[in-house]
Amino acid sequence: MQWANIRLFAVHFWRNATAPKSFYALFLIFILLTAYSAVSGIQNHITQNNIRQEHQTKARQSWEANPDKHPHRMAHFGTFAFRTHPALGIFDYGLESFTGNTVFLEAHRQNSVNFSEATFSTGMLRFGELSLALLLQLVLPLILFFTGFSCVAGDKQNGTLKILLSQGATWKEILFGKSIGLFAISLLFLIPILFVVIIALLLFENSVVNDFRWLRFFIIGTSYLVFFFIISSITVVISTSSNAPKNALLRLLGIWLLLVILLPKSTQAMGNYWFPIPSKLAFQSAIEKDAIQKGDSHNPNDPHYNHLKDSVFTVHKVTKVTDLPFNYSGFVMREGEKITSALYRKHQAKLVDIYKNQNNVTRFSSFVNPFTAIKLISMTMAGTDFSSYIDFQDKADDYRYKLAQTMNELQMEYISPKKESGSEGKAHVVGHEHWEDFQDFKHEPMTFSNSMKEAFFALLSILFWAISTIGVILFISKKAKAI
Amino acid sequence: MRLYKLFLQQCIRSKEVWISLVLITVLGIIGIIIGNKHLERQQDAIAEVKTYQEQHFDRQVSLHNDDLGLLLYYANFAYINNLNPLAVLSIGQSDVHPTVKRITIKTFEAQKYDTDLVNPMNLQSGNLDLSFVIIYLFPLLVIVLTFNVVSEETETGTWRLVAIQSKSKLRFIISKLLVRMMLLYVVLIFLFFIAKLVLNSSLDIHFFWMFGLSVLYIFFWFTISFFVISFKKPSGFNALLLLSVWLVLIILLPAGINAYVTSKYPIPEALSTAIAQRDGYHVKWDTDKRATIEKFYQHYPQFKKYGYPTVGFNWLWYYAMQQMGDDDSKKQRDAFNEKIKLREHTSSQIASVIPNMHLQLTFNQLAGTSMSQQMEYLNATNAFHEKLRLFFYPKIFESQHADTINWNQFIPEYYKTKTTLEPIKGIAPLILASIIMIIISIPMTKRL
Repeated sequence: MQWANIRLFAVHFWRNATAPKSFYALFLIFILLTAYSAVSGIQNHITQNNIRQEHQTKARQSWEANPDKHPHRMAHFGTFAFRTHPALGIFDYGLESFTGNTVFLEAHRQNSVNFSEATFSTGMLRFGELSLALLLQLVLPLILFFTGFSCVAGDKQNGTLKILLSQGATWKEILFGKSIGLFAISLLFLIPILFVVIIALLLFENSVVNDFRWLRFFIIGTSYLVFFFIISSITVVISTSSNAPKNALLRLLGIWLLLVILLPKSTQAMGNYWFPIPSKLAFQSAIEKDAIQKGDSHNPNDPHYNHLKDSVFTVHKVTKVTDLPFNYSGFVMREGEKITSALYRKHQAKLVDIYKNQNNVTRFSSFVNPFTAIKLISMTMAGTDFSSYIDFQDKADDYRYKLAQTMNELQMEYISPKKESGSEGKAHVVGHEHWEDFQDFKHEPMTFSNSMKEAFFALLSILFWAISTIGVILFISKKAKAI
Repeated sequence: MRLYKLFLQQCIRSKEVWISLVLITVLGIIGIIIGNKHLERQQDAIAEVKTYQEQHFDRQVSLHNDDLGLLLYYANFAYINNLNPLAVLSIGQSDVHPTVKRITIKTFEAQKYDTDLVNPMNLQSGNLDLSFVIIYLFPLLVIVLTFNVVSEETETGTWRLVAIQSKSKLRFIISKLLVRMMLLYVVLIFLFFIAKLVLNSSLDIHFFWMFGLSVLYIFFWFTISFFVISFKKPSGFNALLLLSVWLVLIILLPAGINAYVTSKYPIPEALSTAIAQRDGYHVKWDTDKRATIEKFYQHYPQFKKYGYPTVGFNWLWYYAMQQMGDDDSKKQRDAFNEKIKLREHTSSQIASVIPNMHLQLTFNQLAGTSMSQQMEYLNATNAFHEKLRLFFYPKIFESQHADTINWNQFIPEYYKTKTTLEPIKGIAPLILASIIMIIISIPMTKRL
């Protein structure tokens, strides 16, 4: 195998592919689509973040505007957590439109994350979203199939292949040469997109958030390079194993339909079928049931809380709650919040496990489907995947817990033990300076290492695909026939 | 007739044709099973709610018999959007939106948009229901069956024979296409027949509309295919061109339009409403009680007789505050609803020129799973909420005991989606699109 020959075939492939005018038409259309998706992606990023930022500020302002009041009122006044749209969301929308972005955080209650784009949509959203990632995952592979389907089968049909082989070229050189040639064509389409993303990232340079965006982008870029090498090689291999260009094209189109449209949808449907999630009612009543068993702070005769009261009385050597050195009602609520939050988290973790099981069917399918592998890597690294969403949900709930407990502690400390219950009125209040002291929620993106963990399997499978395509080329170069 | 039989034999002789026909039938059946599973899960959820609600009130009454105000702080009442059986065929938006709502008589806005437990990955990948099979996959089958109807004759050298022997070349091509169309209609009828068995409900008119629209939609794809193959280009070229048309119509165009609608009409109003309802209620804890009650009476003058209790905590004041959450966020809420309507209007207008989008929206409309029907359900939930409020307010204000109320009357209530049938609006876009394709094919047929 001589490098000079490989290069010769690659250059020759490039010249042939870029010669027809139709290629330029295709290229132009692709660039226009790139421009459109880039503009709408960037615009969406700016609008969404402005909206969310603006409302985060608005919600905070009304939090801080509260006068002196009973801290439990503040625990219910609560606040909102708005999910920040990640910078790389410009490139890959991922699940962004299907995950809620607003959650109301208050004591005792874990509210749902609401207002996803999908809830405002008429059903058109299900046709897909035009993002730069979609162009790379869906359209560019098709363009490569169109460009490369006849590369070997065509030569076979018109007899040039026989001449090449008889003149001393080896199958290996031909196949690697053409794969590299086609791969170079893919770069022609890929580079403008990567370039656009780089510019966008520079524009939105944000030194405050350390989200490793450049490193993430580097992994995205490298993965797409590997992916397009795989696609180019598959095209050449299929072309080699078909006896006529037409058959090669039909096979490639079939593969595209199967791997891009049918398989991803089926795997997710299977996951959904095999691992059913409980209804919201079942989920909530399971928590409620556990909570009643553990101790019901609303029940005056509850054994758990009576026992707690007795032990508090013994420690402080008192017989009435009003004689305690702190506000007992605040103390009970702190205990209650601790119990119910722990239960909620236990059940929530179970639920997330079911979701993960559902998604794992898709994830494991990336070993048979490189398109799924790149899709998962792309959205995980862009921070628009499932795990990033769950990460936000967890962070918002941590903040909610902190808010509730801080207010309970303020109540224990500052509200007179004589005020046994109720939070109404101006008599038993805490100074409003405490509201400002409690920091606002700030959505920190998921850590890079967690994203890596999440994407590990998909990265592994794309590596596996890269190695096996090289293996297949080597294998087929021994078996291939010139006629 | 013999000719048609020969065409049929010629068509189904090919292995690829058989494979694709079997594949689409299997996928169609899977689609029906998936849709049915969706409906089953809703039925299970409804059964759960029923049993829950019975025990729920018993427990609440035993806990808070002498404090009705507190009881209603906790008590929730189910209001169910009973899915139309046709949702099996077109799940639409019913997977994003909860169809079983349990609400309390507190601020409605705070509960209105609560979501169910859903896996966003499932939402993004979309449902593999029968509507997907019809809208996405049938066109592909049309392409597979027709892309070489002319070119295989030219490529195998039989076209000249045909040209000499048949009376009309156009009729020859159309007959070949008709045979393939009938084949697809047989598959379609078979799938709708299976669907009928699964649906297990009396055949209603909407079911036939769905079928009729599907027939027209498949016809539309045949006209596209006819246009492309009449250029007598090689098979490979036809396959490529037809698949590109499919890609543009079914994926790129809707995705692009979606990007347009999303960026043209962002909905900050949703978030503003959320904040406004929160502030509308919570801020009242610190403002003048009398003013709050006064505002409440402006909304409900019939309760004026309960006076102005302003000392300490009382339920009249509390529920007046809760009411303010709804009343004070009205401006934002109206703006929000306007925006949603605007979006819906824009999308359905654009969709009417793109057959596949039009078909999806019409399917959802017929199956009662569209966005606008969801909004109607939310409005009905609002009315249900209002009914509960008006029932309980006087009882709370009079400090009645909970056991004086017959709680058995509060069984889950059902909402039935209304589907207005507009036949012309439904079929016109599909027929028009087909006619346009036929008209632009005419010049080509003359040069066959």
